[in-house]
Amino acid sequence: MLWLYIHLPNLLLEHISQDQAGKTPLIVSEPGHGLVYQANRAAHELGVRAGMRLKTAVNLAPELVIARMDSGREQRALAQQARWLYRLADYISLYPPNGLLTEVSSLKRLYGGLPSLWQKLTEELKSRQLTGQMATALTPSAARYLAQINRGQCTDCPEILKGLMQTLPIEQVDLPERTVKRLGKLGLLNLNDALSLPANEIAHRLEPETLQRLQQIQGTRPDPQTPWQLPHHFRQRMDFVSDIEQMAGLLFPLQRALGELESDLQWRQQDTDYLKLTFHHRDHAETHLAIRTAGPEHQAAAFMALARIQLEQQQLAAPVMAMTLTVSRLIARGQPAGTDLFGTESDPDEAWQTLISRLQARLGESAINTMVSHPDHRPEKAWMQRALAKPGKTAPNLDVRLSHLPQRPLWLLRAPQAVHHLPEAWLAGPERISGGWWDGERVQRDYYIAQLNTGQLGWLFRDVSGGWYIHGWFG
Amino acid sequence: MKELLDTLLQDARVWQAGHQARPPEPEESTGYEALDYCLRGVGWPRSALTECLLDNAGIGELQLLLPLIRRQLAADRMVFWINPPYTPYAPALERENLDLSRLVVVQTEKSADTLWTLENCLRSSVTGLVMAWPGPLKIRHIRRLQLAAEAGGGLCILFRHTRAGEESSPAALRLQLSPAPDRQLNVRILKRRGGLQGSDCTLSLPGRFPEQAPGSDRVIRGPWPDSNATAQTP
Repeated sequence: MLWLYIHLPNLLLEHISQDQAGKTPLIVSEPGHGLVYQANRAAHELGVRAGMRLKTAVNLAPELVIARMDSGREQRALAQQARWLYRLADYISLYPPNGLLTEVSSLKRLYGGLPSLWQKLTEELKSRQLTGQMATALTPSAARYLAQINRGQCTDCPEILKGLMQTLPIEQVDLPERTVKRLGKLGLLNLNDALSLPANEIAHRLEPETLQRLQQIQGTRPDPQTPWQLPHHFRQRMDFVSDIEQMAGLLFPLQRALGELESDLQWRQQDTDYLKLTFHHRDHAETHLAIRTAGPEHQAAAFMALARIQLEQQQLAAPVMAMTLTVSRLIARGQPAGTDLFGTESDPDEAWQTLISRLQARLGESAINTMVSHPDHRPEKAWMQRALAKPGKTAPNLDVRLSHLPQRPLWLLRAPQAVHHLPEAWLAGPERISGGWWDGERVQRDYYIAQLNTGQLGWLFRDVSGGWYIHGWFG
Repeated sequence: MKELLDTLLQDARVWQAGHQARPPEPEESTGYEALDYCLRGVGWPRSALTECLLDNAGIGELQLLLPLIRRQLAADRMVFWINPPYTPYAPALERENLDLSRLVVVQTEKSADTLWTLENCLRSSVTGLVMAWPGPLKIRHIRRLQLAAEAGGGLCILFRHTRAGEESSPAALRLQLSPAPDRQLNVRILKRRGGLQGSDCTLSLPGRFPEQAPGSDRVIRGPWPDSNATAQTP
């Protein structure tokens, strides 16, 4: 078995500074100890090193930007990175806080040898602006230690790998500190020295656990790994170095997250129609923004267009320090996307969805409706608003009027209006409409069609009180 | 000189403005012979704005458009009503045998939203017809809408007040609608592309003649107070 370990020494730093130019010195601090945990290149040039006291660092670089580390953050960042690796390799394990392990002997054939896989991983790391130290080894532990001290080589030759493993310094192996010291006093400085001793001697002089650990590194004792599984949802969190106060400032990080979402959905061959954006504020409860599309969609550009419309209209409640994009509803993809080779929408369904999503995003869902008639005698209840649904094929429309239905005006007033000057030209009527005794909204009216002096053709009625009202126009 | 010109004209790289083959704009008949005659066969202009100017609703402005709406629905295109002044009444539309699921009513609150909606609807390929009651418009807004209409393939009809007729407008067709005697509709062409303005015609629209049951040609005005009282206290 061949294992490959990717050590990400600056994971947290690179996670939060992805949208920064990298010109400002930036460090991540450990909260309890007041020590520098990770420092970026600009900070490094000013003399700031990891492990330095914060006070020293601030004196060296007064304009230093300090981001605080919290326990979950680095793990979440690691899980985000595991996503893309999972697309390339089937068996991966997470080594929090900043390592990813994958089994590569089964991948060599797929990628045409280890060098091309190595190349692919290097490119992926580079495209995500990540510093990664990779190492291969015959055992998971050996790969991890080699990657951590950046002594990995792109090779699958067992002899070379064995040689590399044997040169590992003893203090690199995660043994109890007491044991390491003791081994050092015995003059055992690297793994080769320790392994050349008889096994029962090690178990006898040191602890049996030490022997077990050494044998796991050597590969003579099993070292089971827990495989990581891709969760059935998409979640990406973007942490910002400095708080963002303008909606426009969120667009760029969002664009990147949507790009990740698109490739994730593409890889899963799934779509979604509901995105949730959560804004994390420093001194304010989280705020949410829902982005709905009219139909299943996977393209980042389509999501971005809708998000832009909504973000432009919204005001931020408070400065945003982090943003999470969550997609939990994943829909199996029915058909291939409707855009043709040139990126134009040839499919009317697709065009319909795009238009309606855009309108709903800006105007709200209640602003766009269709109408249906409703079986009720009362004119104001004889129709209903209905939320928009995708229309099917229209039946061949005969150019006929359904004249068995009573004549009704094309315009209905929202509420009947009192008529002050009665019209002279009465054309049709009366049509008595009486109903509603069953629900307390009784209507008892005689309807007429008459032409007003302005030339308008109206639908008038007189109710039991004797007042004349206009209720519609024959537009 | 002429030889030189002739050789030049033979050259495929020379483009002659006079030979510019203008693709004939697809016609959209109005469904009314008299109006079609007035518009000289151009009909409702596709990919362009049409303005209908009128004082009051209820003079037959929707009846005028029904043949057009019906044709758009038959072609599986959407018909949008943007900010209609009253409720388009579903039973009446159903009586006209229209597919209600393709008639979409959009209500906007701000005028910026209205223009944005109009523009988006016009640019989409699913749109057959957009009818809008946009309220007061600035000329630059209309120009923008005109551009959007050119980008899409749909028709756009703006209903505006007669007062707007005093201002100029980039719309391709401007009609002034006014009531005529006998419940007819007078259509006056204020502007059309490539033609004389000022011609007008009078249309009699089918939906404006109330159909009374035979034998009841007399309109009875009621209810009578006393009969009503007896009806209430049986």
